[in-house]
Amino acid sequence: MKNIIVCVKVVPKSDNIIFDPVNKRLDRTKAENQINAADKSAIETALRIRERVGGKITLLSMGPPFFEPFLKLGIAMGVDEAILLSDRNFGGADTFPTALVLATAIKKIGNVDLVLTGEESSDAGLGQVPSQIAEFLDFPQVLFASTTDISGGTLIARRSIKGGYEILESDLPAVVSVVLGAYQPRFPDFKKKKWADNNYKVKVWNGEDLQLSESVTGIKGSFTTVKRLVEIPQSSRKKIIIDGTPEEKSSKLVEILRKAK
Amino acid sequence: MTRKEIWVYIERNNSGVEDVSLEILGKGTELSNISGYILVGLIAGTPEKKLIDLVIEHGADRVALLKNEMLNEYSTDYFVNAISEYIKNDPPEVMLIGATQNGRDLAGRLAGRLKTGLTANAITLSIDREGMLLAGVPAYGGKILAEIGCEYGRPQMSTVRPGTFKMKEVKNKKGEVDEFIPNLSAIRQRVRIVERNVSEVNDLTRSERTIIGGNGTRGDLTLLKELAQLMNAEIGVTRPLADRGVAPRELQVGSTGYSLKSKIALVLGVSGSEHFTSGIRDCEEVIAIDVDEKSEIFNHCDYCMVGDIFEVLPLTIKKMEETR
Ligand SMILES: Cc1cc2nc3c(=O)[nH]c(=O)nc-3n(C[C@H](O)[C@H](O)[C@H](O)COP(=O)(O)OP(=O)(O)OC[C@H]3O[C@@H](n4cnc5c(N)ncnc54)[C@H](O)[C@@H]3O)c2cc1C
Repeated sequence: MKNIIVCVKVVPKSDNIIFDPVNKRLDRTKAENQINAADKSAIETALRIRERVGGKITLLSMGPPFFEPFLKLGIAMGVDEAILLSDRNFGGADTFPTALVLATAIKKIGNVDLVLTGEESSDAGLGQVPSQIAEFLDFPQVLFASTTDISGGTLIARRSIKGGYEILESDLPAVVSVVLGAYQPRFPDFKKKKWADNNYKVKVWNGEDLQLSESVTGIKGSFTTVKRLVEIPQSSRKKIIIDGTPEEKSSKLVEILRKAK
Repeated sequence: MTRKEIWVYIERNNSGVEDVSLEILGKGTELSNISGYILVGLIAGTPEKKLIDLVIEHGADRVALLKNEMLNEYSTDYFVNAISEYIKNDPPEVMLIGATQNGRDLAGRLAGRLKTGLTANAITLSIDREGMLLAGVPAYGGKILAEIGCEYGRPQMSTVRPGTFKMKEVKNKKGEVDEFIPNLSAIRQRVRIVERNVSEVNDLTRSERTIIGGNGTRGDLTLLKELAQLMNAEIGVTRPLADRGVAPRELQVGSTGYSLKSKIALVLGVSGSEHFTSGIRDCEEVIAIDVDEKSEIFNHCDYCMVGDIFEVLPLTIKKMEETR
């Protein structure tokens, strides 16, 4: 194997995002951040593939400078290199320019056999970036893979489908999106983490490094805009509490279930 | 396009067509009535006439048929090529695709090829006065609905979450069929299916009574299945159980699974993450049992029972059997 790229995103934990219904804005300042869970499965997939067939793993992420420590976490998990694609003009991108920036960086890295991503991010959850990266690189794509392996220069992936599973084979190079829960991601190595925090320098590429003009990145390169944010009405459920001994609770439950028939 | 059109991609499967495609036609009929746009069903392959009729009966004013045997089975390379070549010179205003795995596979790549905007997993759709499609997407785990519009590029694309809209039969509907034969001989199919293993599945979105197990079941669904049999209910699970293979993926409820419209849903050992609760929002009545009285699930149910399912369920099953 030559280069394996893993595209990751840093996302806020959704539990601590606060919606301000008056200004219709999201307050993310109190939100803790993390590497998107499915992307960690993609990192784990890459590490397993490298164990079997070798290769160099590069983490790639488009985002602001505060992503850097999270990319170092990837280094501590065992990836070889981390590159942050960061430029003020990249801000406000929808999936199209995001995928364009990532694909351009992948071309710049060169000699790539495999691009792995998470199935979707937990914040926006569109899941379109992987297929658009594939389109811009003219690579084949396999989405929602639960296992991914390389055998005899071919990619073999398994994915769940309605009622069962299918096994796909694909030419290389390819783009594969990995489902959340595909593999349990390993913990970062504590010593490596310390080393990375103090000594590893994340490579940063901006629009100029990628030779991408302002007009095709960020807001300007986006086709879609968020027109409105609306709070989804919280459920108006009755919330009737059923107390008592297990005996009493089960009687009440039977009554409710019978009534519904 | 002089006539403005809404195109709905009709996803075929072994039994004919994915429900979501007909559901979108149902919503599309409504959008078409409001906007005056023509509703078109896009079918690929060489389907039986029955399928074409079905699409028209569900609201399509016209069927665009991409006729080629190579399109009878989904493949990214063939489908993206055939569809983009067909519409790139005269794209419709709107193109809607069911957010199934293959639907999402197709939509992302097609939008990349056509250089247009795409929104994913919409649960609301409308067309505003300027003719802009607004697709409502739950973000941040379902707390917020972001209404997204496509400012540049045509078609304005969106995928639509299965189980969101209702299909409607339109009596005596007539529709024309336009055929086109795409030439795919030069296209290489770079991803190939080497094995497929599927069995009959229940469609959870239609389940009237559903028992849903979460991590609190410790992955043991025996009691749930017993109770399900007694109350003639279907089983559903949270994502971690589907991830671990305790139950197949199509039994997963939630934002990346199915949305239920059950009359009654019994939710057992589920913590109530927003990714999950978005899938039970449209159930008529929800009962939850959880050992943790602070479980978020209790904010999303009509009957809240703090308790151990391994204590409550055996007693419940016994009583159901006795009073059958
Ligand atoms: C992008 C993305 C998409 C996702 N999509 C989905 C989705 O579609 N569907 C989905 O479900 N999740 C989804 N998730 C995951 C979701 O965020 C939660 O992690 C998941 O729903 C938690 O499952 P759970 O409630 O079964 O498990 P847990 O959170 O572990 O909760 C288990 C509950 O069981 C209770 N319990 C334990 N023992 C007992 C007992 N003996 N009796 C009674 N109660 C007991 C506990 O108190 C707890 O409340 C998604 C996450 C991401 C990031």
